[in-house]
Amino acid sequence: MKREQKWMKLSVLSLIMVVMLSACGGAKTETGSGSSSSDGEVKITLLNSKAEINSQLEQAAKDFQSENPGITLEIVPVGNGQSPFEKASALYASGNPTTMMMLDTGDVEKFKDRVLDLTSEKWMKDAVENSTSATTFDGKNYAFPFSIEGYGFIYNQQVLDQAVGGTFDPQSVQTTDQLEQLFQKIAATGKSPLIVSPMDWSLGAHYLGLAYGGQSPDRAKVDQFISDLKAGKVDLASNTVFNGLMDTFDLMKTYNIDKASPLSGTYERGPEVLGKGEVGIWFQGNWAWPQIHSFDTADGKYGFLPVPVSNNPDDFGNTQISAAVSKRILIDKEKSTPAQQEAAKKFLDWIVYEAKGQDFLVNQATIIPAFSNITLEPADPLGKSIGDYIKAGKIEESMSTLPADHWSKLGASMQKYLADVIDRGGLAKEIQDYWTKVK
Amino acid sequence: MLTEKGLWTRLRTRLIFTGPTLFAFATVMIIPFLYGIYLTFTNWDGIAVEQSLVGWDNYVGVFKDTVFWTSFGMTLEYVFITVVLTNAVAFLLAYAVTRGMKAQGWFRAGFFLPNLVGGIVLGFIWQFIFNQVLVFAGQKMNIPLFAASWLSDPDKAFWALIVVTVWQYAGYMMVIYIAGLMNVPKDVMEAASIDGASNRKMLARIVLPLMVPSFIVCVFLSLQRGFMVYDLNVSLTSGGPFKSTEMVSMHVYEQAFLARDYGLGQAEAFVLFILVATITLLQVYFSKKLEVEA
Repeated sequence: MKREQKWMKLSVLSLIMVVMLSACGGAKTETGSGSSSSDGEVKITLLNSKAEINSQLEQAAKDFQSENPGITLEIVPVGNGQSPFEKASALYASGNPTTMMMLDTGDVEKFKDRVLDLTSEKWMKDAVENSTSATTFDGKNYAFPFSIEGYGFIYNQQVLDQAVGGTFDPQSVQTTDQLEQLFQKIAATGKSPLIVSPMDWSLGAHYLGLAYGGQSPDRAKVDQFISDLKAGKVDLASNTVFNGLMDTFDLMKTYNIDKASPLSGTYERGPEVLGKGEVGIWFQGNWAWPQIHSFDTADGKYGFLPVPVSNNPDDFGNTQISAAVSKRILIDKEKSTPAQQEAAKKFLDWIVYEAKGQDFLVNQATIIPAFSNITLEPADPLGKSIGDYIKAGKIEESMSTLPADHWSKLGASMQKYLADVIDRGGLAKEIQDYWTKVK
Repeated sequence: MLTEKGLWTRLRTRLIFTGPTLFAFATVMIIPFLYGIYLTFTNWDGIAVEQSLVGWDNYVGVFKDTVFWTSFGMTLEYVFITVVLTNAVAFLLAYAVTRGMKAQGWFRAGFFLPNLVGGIVLGFIWQFIFNQVLVFAGQKMNIPLFAASWLSDPDKAFWALIVVTVWQYAGYMMVIYIAGLMNVPKDVMEAASIDGASNRKMLARIVLPLMVPSFIVCVFLSLQRGFMVYDLNVSLTSGGPFKSTEMVSMHVYEQAFLARDYGLGQAEAFVLFILVATITLLQVYFSKKLEVEA
């Protein structure tokens, strides 16, 4: 009797253990990156790192599904403030990557051993010039160019019309002096000329990026400049483009609405004061349109001005807007089944070639497409403005392949300069120090 | 179970009872820890398929990384201030809510409440308070201290972190102190009051010495939490303005995931682990000597 009881206990205990362990093991098949079940249904997932278009993407996924029965597409958002690289590498580390990942241009190279070679895709021939060069390694392109984004001085037409007393012509600002005159005219109407948003990514990756990209219209020379920086061969303090850019930054500091406390501003404050017409100009990119739109008092009339770097209108950068392909979509090849990979390719084709897909990209998500076959015009004024600069060939390529911690580290240096903690010599030194430490 | 005969029988019984826990502990703690130590000897970037061994390079890198040591220094300062303030406030709160005043249960619950809010949410709430509420009040009521956002000034941002930390943890430590206060034997206190000891004397000579175990636990907990502060750091100041409030955990994280130098980040995390483990063990060892018998 006693013996029996003992065995009872033992078997109950081992049963509990088995249940526990199998629960651990079982979870995996459930949450795998979307397994294809037996009846031909394919489930694919897309990691979305453009939080502002998440609802549009969800809708696009529904439309895509209704046109392609048998495929389910699920959108996985990247958390607010989390980097897409971090999220994607965490998903890989847990053996659970999404079928498609939307990443920044600079991230693609790191993932190239784990994602599909997309060189032979149909959309390659329709992609606009240079849109895949940054993601091509050894002759193979690994990424789908999803969106073009650009940045510069966004102006509120209504405020500027009032300042110049007539219709403001964006062509009239091509030098630092002309910019200052414009600032003074705006100030004379009792409004603040501009707002400088102090986020490190804006100052570090975008504003400071102009100092590299503006060195030359020739991309090879820009790359050479970067490698010289790494080798410690550049003296920034005597560099013309850098100094010209920082002269403009000094102007921005002087006429900044938040001059009294330049670091206390938040991103959300920018679209509010610009949209409400409290300032005339905001240094930001076309992605800010949805936010500006929600405060808009200028009847949707906005556009871009270049950031001037000298007093000679012919100098490179004075009439150019910085723009580049910012987001890329990659397809996983490690954990995804061939059926899932096909479905993912189908989704990319759908965006480029189907009416609903194009409508999603341009009209719903207000994205500037990187494909020449898409004839839809961007509906928002900022996208349209950038489109105009692209058509006129007035584009300076954005620095989309800077080191991953560049925006954070040098953004902090720019914040110090903005708050007058360091002077220009100190800033130049911090930038040079950073580059010589980059691996 | 030690009465059972035979090595196998004993081992089997042990395994049945501790096996599942050991298994879980090994898979989620021990193996990742050892794997992490292995990664400190590689040049892995966090995603690459291949990685190569680089020997002690990463550890040399830790000692060369001046930012790591400055942020460690700042973290030490932060830990010191928060440990002192948290425990002082917690003890005073505990003392106040065990005096038998009205509705003290409600007060206890109220002081404990901040602990139930997650660090990230709490950081965003306080960010709003520091950036908007206090600035608005400061400007309307002409209080220069609050007229500009605390989070845009390096020193004030540091103190903002301290204020929120103390506010969050004091309630938790208070609960431990309440338990300690309740455990002070009533007969000793009674004897002391019959002998004519004043309240203050009883506190200094009887209550505090008898509560040393509570202090050990609370100081240990607040030390460890202080060193590991990350969520609040990210959500309240995100290291700003210009990286002046970047605590050491955040720096390690950024080294691994932002600079994409996983090996170096992991090595820094390991060095940090050794340093924090040493400090907390020393604290427990030395404060154990202060314990007295009732």
